[in-house]
Amino acid sequence: MFIDGVFLDGITSKRNTARLEVNNDHKITHVHLIDQQQVISFEEQKYVVETQLGNTPREISFEDGQLFYCDNHEVIDRLISWKAKQLSSRNSWLYRLESNFKTIILSTMATVALLYGIIIYGIPSTAKIMAHHLPKISSEQLLSSLDILDETVFDASELPVKRRQEIQALMAPYLSNHKNLQPRLVFRSGMKANALALPNGVIVFTDDLVNLVETDSELIAILFHELGHLTHKHMTQRIIQDTMLTVAIIFITGDVETFDLITGLPTLLLDLAYSRGFEIEADNYALTLLDKHNIPLQSFIDAMTHLENYYLEHNEGDNNAVIDFFSTHPKTTDRIKLVEGFKN
Amino acid sequence: MNNTPENSLSEINSNEPTQQTQELGFEFRGNGMEYFRIWIVNILLTIVTLGIYSAWATVRNNRYFYSNLYLDNDNFRYLADPLTILKGRIIALAAFIAYYLTSIFYPAVAVVLTIALILAIPYFINQSIAFNNRMSSYKNIQFRFKGSYKKAFMVVYVWPILGILTLGILYPLALLKANEYVVRNSAYGTSNFDFNATYKDYGMIFLTALGIALVVGIPLALITYFLPAFTVVSTILFVVMYFVLIIYALVSFTNLFYASLSLVEHKFSANLTMTGQAKVILINLLLTIITFGLYLPAAKVRMAKYICSCLTMHANGSLENFSAAEKESISALGEEFGQVFDFV
Repeated sequence: MFIDGVFLDGITSKRNTARLEVNNDHKITHVHLIDQQQVISFEEQKYVVETQLGNTPREISFEDGQLFYCDNHEVIDRLISWKAKQLSSRNSWLYRLESNFKTIILSTMATVALLYGIIIYGIPSTAKIMAHHLPKISSEQLLSSLDILDETVFDASELPVKRRQEIQALMAPYLSNHKNLQPRLVFRSGMKANALALPNGVIVFTDDLVNLVETDSELIAILFHELGHLTHKHMTQRIIQDTMLTVAIIFITGDVETFDLITGLPTLLLDLAYSRGFEIEADNYALTLLDKHNIPLQSFIDAMTHLENYYLEHNEGDNNAVIDFFSTHPKTTDRIKLVEGFKN
Repeated sequence: MNNTPENSLSEINSNEPTQQTQELGFEFRGNGMEYFRIWIVNILLTIVTLGIYSAWATVRNNRYFYSNLYLDNDNFRYLADPLTILKGRIIALAAFIAYYLTSIFYPAVAVVLTIALILAIPYFINQSIAFNNRMSSYKNIQFRFKGSYKKAFMVVYVWPILGILTLGILYPLALLKANEYVVRNSAYGTSNFDFNATYKDYGMIFLTALGIALVVGIPLALITYFLPAFTVVSTILFVVMYFVLIIYALVSFTNLFYASLSLVEHKFSANLTMTGQAKVILINLLLTIITFGLYLPAAKVRMAKYICSCLTMHANGSLENFSAAEKESISALGEEFGQVFDFV
């Protein structure tokens, strides 16, 4: 049979209107170059019919590098169905998969379901397992950030030495109960009223936080919350999760050329969602410990309330709804409700 | 003025055929729905095969974009073989894991490895660009890239560092040098590309962007300082200004790039507009968010269509006189290393 199309010899960029001649053994015997009125004969030329790709012209590439393409899908389909079942049928299953409407709907739903499963369950569970099995060395080396914080946001504490020693003495028994985490309590000024737990065990209380609370039990409640983060290795989990998530997104979108905002947003939003889960876990841990040491759970509620009022004072003029959405912590009212639930 | 008898005589006697400049538009003939089908099947198969299919997916995605890009009624072709890419990816992944493990257990060795990696980056970039170019063809003539390690090193490290050291004054030069390096070492067959822009061209874009930022930013900052209630509105305005500056940079640098590009006697030009580009990006962003990412493939198609519609080749003569370069063989390793270690 004859196939009309364009022939490019791969040596010059000249475009030749051409006609392929195919014999009964599906061998391409000649290429008739119409404008030059030339005929190229092929002897044992192997050729490959490229897989169909959407609506693009069908390509036939030859062993020696020549290329023939044509728009006539029917004729090429006939050529393919003539040829033996090897490569061609394997190629057309892909095209059939892509053109079948039902398959597309199914693929889309399956992909969404799989992705949902991976992101909501797969990644967090894997991160959790990995975080708890990381060799001790790596946690210390890779994740010690106190020095960086000291050079950026923290200054030396301005609390009276006596007060600091008081608090250290108060916390010492609780810290020694968690020896395996190698916890240390340090004081800093800066970053408003805050408490941080760094992965290598350092817990930071800021001056504003110490001055904010009314009773020392509140400080204990906060310490327990931070110990919760350390026990569950939240920071490490978070780093692993974010990495896996970013890798997954790059993997899936296939390239990093798409406008960055689009691919960065999901990671950000999911990170915030994951972190609220961590806060709840830490709260539960704190409440359990408070209970165990017979410290009134009210101290936890007081600490939360004082913090909320403090931040309301310091952030007037900001839109609360927006802040809540992007907040890494659950709403204070929700956390207080958690306490009520715990009591029962 | 040109009609004196001597001139007409010389025209008749001249052996040069009169060159007419043909305005050839680039055209992207793909469509979003068609590409979505290919894209979603690719993702499903990639997930199901735990990533192994990703090499085939990348090739198929690239083939779609290349094959739907038309110039002078011929399309481009992406020639890479998925197996080559898969091999490259596996090697790169193994190298990455080895690097990560070494950095945990033998930090001293890791330092040496990092230095080696820093030195290797220009080499990998060269390999990656060479691979990409060779896997691209137009009218069945492949593109080429012949870089040099020294120049690549200058472009990757020296010029940008100079740019930073001079507080940004020399940064436009870094951009210019990078573009020059890539373009001037690229060829279509045996014909080299050329790049003719000046430091002033790049500098003007930077200055204008800086100017806009200052003219809008400083008054905004002052107003916000004196009227704290204005904070929400001014934050929004800052975001808008940032977005406008990004669009400005994108449009200006793209237009400058094509205006400076030439292939032997043929020239190019681009006339992207800020409104056009902003419209495309905003629509893409909005639809992608609404569809939780399912619009991404169509977004890519929309962007490709827009940019192509603004690109023109000013062909001074026929495009059929190009010759193919000699055959070479370059592994995909450079490209895959580049992607894994995130520098291309």
